[in-house]
Amino acid sequence: MDEAILRENQRRGSDARPTLRFYGWTKPTISLGYFQDVAAEVNIGFCRRNNIPIIRRPTGGKAVLHHDDLTYSVIALEDNHLFPAGLLGTYKVISRCIAAGLEKLGVRADILQEGRESESAELSAFCFSVPSQYELLVEKRKICGSAQIRSRGVFLQHGSLLMNFDPVQTCRALVTSDGPVSEEASKLQQRVTSFYEYADRRYAYEDVCGILKRAFEESLGIRLVDGVLTEEEETVKERLLEYKYRDSRWNMEGKRPYEY
Amino acid sequence: MAGFTDDLLFSREHTWVRIDGNIATIGITDYAQEALGEIFSVDLPNMDTYVEQDEPFGTIEAKKTVAELISPISGDIISVNEDLSDDVGIINSDPYNTGWMIVVAMSDSSELDDLLDADEYGDFVEEDEKGR
Repeated sequence: MDEAILRENQRRGSDARPTLRFYGWTKPTISLGYFQDVAAEVNIGFCRRNNIPIIRRPTGGKAVLHHDDLTYSVIALEDNHLFPAGLLGTYKVISRCIAAGLEKLGVRADILQEGRESESAELSAFCFSVPSQYELLVEKRKICGSAQIRSRGVFLQHGSLLMNFDPVQTCRALVTSDGPVSEEASKLQQRVTSFYEYADRRYAYEDVCGILKRAFEESLGIRLVDGVLTEEEETVKERLLEYKYRDSRWNMEGKRPYEY
Repeated sequence: MAGFTDDLLFSREHTWVRIDGNIATIGITDYAQEALGEIFSVDLPNMDTYVEQDEPFGTIEAKKTVAELISPISGDIISVNEDLSDDVGIINSDPYNTGWMIVVAMSDSSELDDLLDADEYGDFVEEDEKGR
């Protein structure tokens, strides 16, 4: 759906509609970064045995095990005045909005000013194992990871805000060898956190989305209008599902549809 | 603006084209590589693939983004830079020479009229930056 909105924004050019989405996952799913080698970075056998689908994102970055997370996406023209020039400008602005939302929810997150290097070779393929510049941390542990694609004057940035985090399940899915993962899981636990480690009460999913939406509005000085996909976006979405996102050649081999 | 070369044409999508008769060599501009930062990998199509003007022909992964490469002209790919699979960093270090990406046999040379010369591209980049 995110790519369908990106493509429609490209087609509409200066009439493009900047879009913010929040969504969740009905079952545990792995999303790979565009360039990742699935066999080298995911335990495919574990995922098959546990009915965890593997999909490939159009964006870069590393693998994410989605389940109890809230995913956001922002699609807009690169020269939209809300976002400063440069690749990192969008990370900075969007992180500021999410941090403001988390603050309203009682969780204080900091924006990392300098990226870090991964300390674990086994988990270097996992998005949350290493925070990058302008990503969000709570008490020095990463809570939200993001990635983006830019094409023909439009950017799509999406990211995963962890609501709960299961380091053992994550390691089982992302450490390619079967066997004990307790050591890796414990390393990961030291570097990754989640919303409910800090929130003082349970929130309905819709309430979290609503508060984050308000934080985007206030931080950017805009008013967001609720909407659904346009007819054109629906058509592009269906086409992308058929030729790309339901096809293992894209998801597992990383081949682009015109190479099939 | 450093790094522009007079014998090239440029697209508004930050690719360059070097023309030799009907043959066009294509890469990304110095401005583009600098904006992307350190490039980790590039995904280019196979030989004989037909690329279309203003359509994606490949993808670059840089430190914090994936960027689609948009073809400045249409035609069949007759060569792909194999050196990039050994050292993709040459796109950063030498974008106009050893960092070339594909060579295309042009199907419609009138498409070159849509491209910019070095001065026009310099102005375009300057305007683009000023607009922010």
